[in-house]
Amino acid sequence: MKDIDKYFFGKAANDKVSLEVKPGEIHALLGENGAGKTTLMNILYGIYQRDGGRITWKGEEIHFGSPREAIDNRIGMVHQHFMLVPTLTVSQNITLGLKSEGHPFPNRRSIDEKIRELLSAYNVHISPTDKVSSLSVGGEQWVEIIKLLYRNAELLILDEPTAVLTPQETERLFRVLEKLRQEGHSVIIITHRIPEVLEITDRVTILRDGRNVATVHTSETDSVELSHYMIGRELKTISRTPNTVSPQEEGLGLDELTVEENGRSVLGPLSLSVRKGEMIGIAGVDGNGQKYLAEAVLGVRDCSAGKVRLLGGDVSSASIQKRKDMGLGYIAEDRQNDALIMDMDMRENVLLRMYSKREYVKTGFIKYANVDETAKEMIETYNIKTAGLGKPVRYLSGGNQQKLILARELAGSPPVIIAFHPTRGLDIGATEFVRQKLLERRASGSSILLISSDLDEIFALSDRIAVLFHGKIMAVLENDGNVDVNYLGRLMAGESAESGSNSRRVE
Amino acid sequence: MIETGLIAALTAFLSATLRMAMPLTLAGLGETFSEKSGILNIGLEAIMLSGAFFSFIIAFMTQSVLLGVCAGIAGGIAVSSIHAYLSIHCKVNQTIAGLALNFLIIGLTSFLFLIVFGKSTTLPECPVTPKIPIPLLSQIPIVGTVLFNQDLFVYFTFIAIFLAWFFIHRTEWGVSLHAVGENPKAADSAGLNVFRIRYLSTIANGFFGGLAGSYLTLGLLGFFMENITSGKGYIALVVVILGRRNPPGILLAALVVGAAEALQFRMQTAGIPVPSQLFTMFPYVITVLVLFLAVGKSREPSALGIPYIRSKR
Amino acid sequence: MERLKAALSYILIIVIILSLAVVLILSVGSDVPKSFMSFFRGIFGSLYGFSEVLVRATPLILAGLGVSIGFRTGFINIGAEGQIYWGAIAVTTTAYLFPGLPALIAIPLGIVAGFVAGGIWALIPGYLKARFGISEVINTIMFNYIAINILGILVRTVLKDPEYPLPMSSKLPEGFIFPLLMYPTRLHLGFLIALIAMVLVYVLMWKSSPGYKLRVVGLNQRASLCSGIPVKKYIVFSSLLSGGFAGIAGVGEIAGIHYKLLEGFSPGFGYVAIIVALLGKNNPFGVTAAGLGIAALQVGSLSMQRQAGVPASISWIIMGSIVLLILARSTLLTFFAEKEKEEKV
Repeated sequence: MKDIDKYFFGKAANDKVSLEVKPGEIHALLGENGAGKTTLMNILYGIYQRDGGRITWKGEEIHFGSPREAIDNRIGMVHQHFMLVPTLTVSQNITLGLKSEGHPFPNRRSIDEKIRELLSAYNVHISPTDKVSSLSVGGEQWVEIIKLLYRNAELLILDEPTAVLTPQETERLFRVLEKLRQEGHSVIIITHRIPEVLEITDRVTILRDGRNVATVHTSETDSVELSHYMIGRELKTISRTPNTVSPQEEGLGLDELTVEENGRSVLGPLSLSVRKGEMIGIAGVDGNGQKYLAEAVLGVRDCSAGKVRLLGGDVSSASIQKRKDMGLGYIAEDRQNDALIMDMDMRENVLLRMYSKREYVKTGFIKYANVDETAKEMIETYNIKTAGLGKPVRYLSGGNQQKLILARELAGSPPVIIAFHPTRGLDIGATEFVRQKLLERRASGSSILLISSDLDEIFALSDRIAVLFHGKIMAVLENDGNVDVNYLGRLMAGESAESGSNSRRVE
Repeated sequence: MIETGLIAALTAFLSATLRMAMPLTLAGLGETFSEKSGILNIGLEAIMLSGAFFSFIIAFMTQSVLLGVCAGIAGGIAVSSIHAYLSIHCKVNQTIAGLALNFLIIGLTSFLFLIVFGKSTTLPECPVTPKIPIPLLSQIPIVGTVLFNQDLFVYFTFIAIFLAWFFIHRTEWGVSLHAVGENPKAADSAGLNVFRIRYLSTIANGFFGGLAGSYLTLGLLGFFMENITSGKGYIALVVVILGRRNPPGILLAALVVGAAEALQFRMQTAGIPVPSQLFTMFPYVITVLVLFLAVGKSREPSALGIPYIRSKR
Repeated sequence: MERLKAALSYILIIVIILSLAVVLILSVGSDVPKSFMSFFRGIFGSLYGFSEVLVRATPLILAGLGVSIGFRTGFINIGAEGQIYWGAIAVTTTAYLFPGLPALIAIPLGIVAGFVAGGIWALIPGYLKARFGISEVINTIMFNYIAINILGILVRTVLKDPEYPLPMSSKLPEGFIFPLLMYPTRLHLGFLIALIAMVLVYVLMWKSSPGYKLRVVGLNQRASLCSGIPVKKYIVFSSLLSGGFAGIAGVGEIAGIHYKLLEGFSPGFGYVAIIVALLGKNNPFGVTAAGLGIAALQVGSLSMQRQAGVPASISWIIMGSIVLLILARSTLLTFFAEKEKEEKV
């Protein structure tokens, strides 16, 4: 792929990106979220159409209009969300949509045999007659891979394949990839995990902000260099006055917090303490447990073990309402789904947080006059540009929507605030505004948990930085201006914390 | 002496049960195809009524049962096509579309009936399919009379059930149909044409539903009157659930309902004071229990009732 | 531009409907102007005609209000018919149990009983949905049939009038009967109650905190959850309210029209109510208007049948067609928009 351009709404997701993969090679596409890796592969696979550049496959220029065409040309992709029908068997899923011999009366037995051979060739212990619903997530991924091999894929693209695997399953996957390489298949792995890149790949192409950074041979590089490529840049510093943090008083406490899903631990055990007047930034690539962390603290998700403390009190089994009443403010990452009712107007969205407060609801009736007043105040203070109190918030710009959420959640100076991607999708002005407001809250003594994949933001605002990887905290660093960004990057990419680096570790 | 009387009564009862279960079975088969592909058709009543009406009109005018059946099928497919268009292309709420169709067709068939026949006190009649006993097999006591001394509709239904079962469980088409209803995204990415499969399944729905309606007029009753289906379409929905969307199961479920109905008649004519409603209620209570017990197990196609939108991401 | 297009599409629908009506009238051989005249005369031409519209609208409005509450909260209530039946059963049973009560107590008691009975009947599918995720669409249809059959059993056994051979209850005691609002029409207290219910629903849904939460749950379950609203509880609550109002519709029919419990007193009110809720956009005032509209359609059609010979079943055709056209409207709109785009490019 050469000089691929791809624009979404005027913003370049891919800017003159080039990628070259040799036959019989395992090639990693490395980068943070939003670097443009998946976009690039989606273009290759025919899901998106490129805006510029050329793609050649086996010497010929190609242009896939749909995944079907890609598959017909022996290119296969396993997405992060599997495309399987749970109520059908492995075998039926693999042959779905194919006109096998004897169509429409396929000889199931001979097909099953063929698939069984394929499965055992790669040491996958699944029977073709198993129903997909009985498989583990790892098992489902095997089916997806075998599906591609059954259709004679020569190039396989795997999107974050290890995200859903246990370490043992990851090992098995790597053995299979090695076998594939021996047989002459090529594999592209989209990932953000440096240890895996180092273990299994031949070459690495690193993308950042939609552009090529470098392409290197794995044997000739190390994690320091890769991390530098992935993240390394000059970070702007916002002046952040050191705050008097009261070491005794805790605002938010997490005690061996553990969250499980489908029997697997996806978060924790995790322990953390946010003091009053302190902002801790949770750094990490998206998908390493941030969502579970935010949801567990809010109360939307139950924790299978461990405790959550608000202002010293155990709220682990308290309802969301109770936690809000105790003083928890929550700035959600997904405004449209988690925080706002798009078709309701401003007043009713403001009410979403206030409906339990007596000044707004008396004997079951809503005092809209008070709601209106509060809403007007918020519009003033936060400078929200709106066409009118009565218009649905759908018509507000993203920035103004976020301002509304901020105004609502920060009203009343809640002592504990969770800010989950608070500036996602906002322009510079709105971003500055949000960050300013968070700093104000911090100055007045609130404990703030900032979860963000934007390192600039983490560095600008946090007193301490905790790195989240695979649901666990790798390290907690003091943000004293001396933090080694590369070290941080390596932590984010999965390397375990080492002692004796050039930054102090704080528990 | 008493024995032969009893046997005769039993045979008659079973025979009647089977015949009454046929329209439900056919309609249920059609709905099964539709639901398996993800389209919920509450408007099954409209399809059946349309089939009943048009089969009657044409049979009356041409005195040909065969032409009547064709007309009934055509009528059913016409109605189901409207539902298909609304559900697949316009992506509307399928429940409401079905309900609206029910009202529309009830009104339309009553209206047209009045136009053609005016307000006569005697109901016009149409030719009825004759019983065709299968040689040898129909001589078997009880079973023979019940199963093999029926009309062509019944024999066709037997074959249809077998073919439907075979189609769904033994062919690749059946697998594709199943995939479209369970995970249309996966089906789409595997190269299946979700829209085409859904359209075809709704045509099947119209075919069998229209046929079911035709049987009502041309097979069972021999006449037509306003709202002759009187809710059988809704009952067919029940049959689909009771039968777990599995053709042989549908036949069984339809028999259960048919038996309840037949029992109700018997009891009324025999003057037994037990309220017949206990029996007519029976299938519905069972359905609720079935729904309840099936919680957690895969009971309905995951994409049932959800329009498929191919997002451009 | 958007609003112009929307208005045009509605006008288009009206044109199609009118044309359809004309075609149908002509196919019967009737005179078109005469038919339309008799249609309107049936509704507005006499006091009795007008009152009939209100009488027929009463159960539609009440049940429609109930269904609309359900719709707003995401509870698709196809079971209004069964809930109406239970309302009827409830008021009859209450009347049997307390025959001597004066109207001042009896009537409210009957209404409450109907509300509770209908509410419980809807609550079961509602609970099954909230707790187990069982689709309420099929469940509520089942419950309709069960309710109809239970009524059939009751009027033949426990509630049967001992003096009549037919399956129906004896006449309701005086206290429970709804007074007539306008003699000599059939217009009874039920209509007033429907109007009161309309206001009640408005106040409940838009002015009260529980109503607010109900609407939020209906619009965005995830955001409701994140803001602390117990979603499951509110789904159940909405089913209760939904069935309750439908139950009152049943009370009205028995206490206001028939004065005794009998089979088949509802010619599908519960199903029509779904259409009424849809046409009324789930808004209490819209539902009332839609209920009146459908009732007017039916009364007018009857008049058209009497005076111009057009079969009354035309009202079902028109009603079904209106709904289908409205459903298809947005597609028709985009169809025209697409054509516009193509032409411009």
